[in-house]
Amino acid sequence: MNNDTPAAILKRNLWTDNPIFVQILGICSTLAVTNNLTNTLIMTLAVTIVTGLSSTTVSLIKGLIPRKVRMIVQTLIIAFYVILVDIVLRAYIPEISKALGPYVGLIITNCIIMGRAEAFAQSNPPVMALWDGLTSGVGYMAVLVIIATIRELLGAGTLMGYQVLGDGFTTWTIMVMPPSAFFLLGSFIWAAKSIMIKKEAS
Amino acid sequence: MKKESFFYVVIFTFIVAFIFVFIISLVNNATSERVARNRELVSAQAFLNAVGKNENDGTKALSEFSNLFGPVEGESIVKADINGNILLVKQFSGQGLWGTVTGVIAVNRDVSRIIGLDIISHEETPGLGGRIEEDWFKDQFRGEAIPDSGIKVKKGEGGSDNNPDNGIVDGVTGASLTSAAMEVIVNNQIAELRKEAAE
Repeated sequence: MNNDTPAAILKRNLWTDNPIFVQILGICSTLAVTNNLTNTLIMTLAVTIVTGLSSTTVSLIKGLIPRKVRMIVQTLIIAFYVILVDIVLRAYIPEISKALGPYVGLIITNCIIMGRAEAFAQSNPPVMALWDGLTSGVGYMAVLVIIATIRELLGAGTLMGYQVLGDGFTTWTIMVMPPSAFFLLGSFIWAAKSIMIKKEAS
Repeated sequence: MKKESFFYVVIFTFIVAFIFVFIISLVNNATSERVARNRELVSAQAFLNAVGKNENDGTKALSEFSNLFGPVEGESIVKADINGNILLVKQFSGQGLWGTVTGVIAVNRDVSRIIGLDIISHEETPGLGGRIEEDWFKDQFRGEAIPDSGIKVKKGEGGSDNNPDNGIVDGVTGASLTSAAMEVIVNNQIAELRKEAAE
């Protein structure tokens, strides 16, 4: 994959090979945090930063990592950055840290990060790996933010905590609960795939 | 040394783990004071909130907290003089649906009304049970009369229960178990506060 230009990587991670609706990775967090837009933004930002940095680090020391312990080292690097993010959140933005609770720790298990480290960073130079990690994170962020916007708007009538829909609006409790993320994500994948197929056909 | 040899693998893994863990402990050390202060601040603000005082400035909140409540040991009941009224204030912890809910409850001297309630931490589902920390839920406890049978957290008609005399609080929609757990937690605290008030 030596013909990877930054633009091609961007397009791939945002659209043609999007981690959420094409690779179907990182679904657990999609279901969990998307009932609130603020939490979603912070969480996806954290994932983006962690993916970028861990991919860069893996790429930097890829020549030194023995194949046998490759995955262990990758996990170690990812865990390292996630713990750093957790500490920084706790020290400097305690409200968000409180709201996200256990989900920050769970970023470690987000398959997107490991996936990028294994599929891209292992065989590409650091700057490209950073770009690939960041754009993958943004691809993840874009989908989650769309789902979170719909869920918070219909589920609570608010956006980022501000009342948007009037008092007369009956909130959809289902939108706050995990199943709605399944429905929305399913619809999203359906829509995105239909557009892709149409494009290919024409 | 060959890259796939046993010694290289062991030494490499050891060094990598050592470096990363070392950095983490450095950062942890550097921020631990701040984190501890944040934690103190959260509980100080919960105490102030429970007695109806709001203080957003961190330093002021901490000093006002020690003025009003003095050193608070664990979950002991504190008698605080707020604007000439003696209130009983107590930090509490109890079993929520998923984990421990901790918070602060303040009642008047004869435990006939709740003055206020605030949540310090919980592990309930964000967006569902987690909404117990939202103002609309906590504000229902403000000035609520305590019937002999205790507070009831009920399924209401939507919105919150604004009648402070019926001893009824509207639960969180979609989180009946957390709501039920809150009812138990609050009533346990009321029982303890009553015991203290009777002495």
